Amino acid sequence: MEFVSPEGLRLDGRRPMEMRQIRAEIGAVSKADGSAIFEMGNTKVIAAVYGPREVQNRSQQISSHALVRCEYSMANFSTGDRMRKPKGDRRSTEISLVIRQTMEACILTHLLPRSQIDIYVQVLQADGGTRSACINAATLALADAGIPMRDFVTSCSAGYLNSTPLLDLNYVEDSAGGPDVTLGILPKLDKVTLFQMDSKLPIDILENVMQLAIEGCKAIASYIREILLENTNQLEYRRGV
Amino acid sequence: MEAITLIDQSVCPGDVVLDVSTIANHTIKLGGGLRQDGDVISVTKSGTLRFSNPNKYWVQISQKRYVPQQKDSVLGIVVDSRSDNFLVDIKGPALAFLPVLAFEGGTRRNIPKFEIGTLLYVRVVKANPGMNPELSCTDASGKAAEFGALKDGYMFECTTGLSRMLLSSPTCPVLDALGKKLSFEIAVGLNGRVWVNAASPHTTIIVANAVMNSETLSGAQQRIMVEKLLQKIQ
Repeated sequence: MEFVSPEGLRLDGRRPMEMRQIRAEIGAVSKADGSAIFEMGNTKVIAAVYGPREVQNRSQQISSHALVRCEYSMANFSTGDRMRKPKGDRRSTEISLVIRQTMEACILTHLLPRSQIDIYVQVLQADGGTRSACINAATLALADAGIPMRDFVTSCSAGYLNSTPLLDLNYVEDSAGGPDVTLGILPKLDKVTLFQMDSKLPIDILENVMQLAIEGCKAIASYIREILLENTNQLEYRRGV
Repeated sequence: MEAITLIDQSVCPGDVVLDVSTIANHTIKLGGGLRQDGDVISVTKSGTLRFSNPNKYWVQISQKRYVPQQKDSVLGIVVDSRSDNFLVDIKGPALAFLPVLAFEGGTRRNIPKFEIGTLLYVRVVKANPGMNPELSCTDASGKAAEFGALKDGYMFECTTGLSRMLLSSPTCPVLDALGKKLSFEIAVGLNGRVWVNAASPHTTIIVANAVMNSETLSGAQQRIMVEKLLQKIQ
């Protein structure tokens, strides 16, 4: 099947190096200590953060660090066909673990020993790149909750179809069976915290695809920064400062 | 110095505020929201960067949860009682301990009996990272000074930024405007909890609503809002 036309357009009319439209909103869940909605094209994800608070399960308490827990779930209505078991399946457990490890790398857990930080991410609409959207939403939610972080974590996916590196795959391109690289970076510190890939890719092409994903992450980082600054400015303005 | 351009600006986690190697022989004091990473001071929480002479930097943050600090006055809710401590929730990373003897004239014979759910106005005595904070119902000299259980009234939650604004001096505009027309008592906890009590539930509700609304308004707007609110009911 042709994923990149001879004119250089993808199935949804994007250029190979073009990302989908992103949109973010902070503070959507008023009961949570921090929350955010993140949309990448048609993929919509909501993240809620609770904490830092007292550890609920004493046996899991860590005396030198905060305990970070993460739960990823997809809403029943998020995919084309209604899902019957949105939580607890292998894929959800794996993605929960991946998001937890990625966020743990950027949270300054040693500043909050013996406490617990819960991150709940739910996919409302899935169209490829849910992992990345979840990480971006979790970053914003953590910043909204005032949890100390080294830097943002931003994430983006990239692939390689019809001999072209493609940025930000949607569901159709993702299910094509080609390589799918998901990258998570700390943009200011220039460090990689997440690097996952499906399928196979020759190593010289991997470099190009990874570079493309890094650029996507940096673009998302500047957008996230804007959203966070706007939110902070709004709070300041409202308090009359 | 990058610091000069970012002071009084909004900052995000990861932003570099200062490069220590460019300043000669200086001691800098870092407050909340900043950390040193080798040669560089970077931001860990989003907020507004503040500076006070000669060398104090900090990020002014407003959030829903509380970071326990010594000498703060907070509103806590009793969750449990042990033989030597009450366990009190102050919206921090850990439950706080209130020793049963930390009351004016407190001895083993007259330990107060607080039920679970009692609202207390307390002072934070110790707040070390990783340890449960310690509270007291007396001021530094041992007098009761308004600390203790708050009876009746209504408690609601807000952000730490609103609490600080309500406690700022000169008196915050919304409290000033309300105080001129209504009679009520109010206790503001720096941990994002506010308690209001008045002779009638009617007045309590007006004060609570006015305070909650004022989170999103400037000084002048607060006065106008209070005026409109009072006009409607009188």
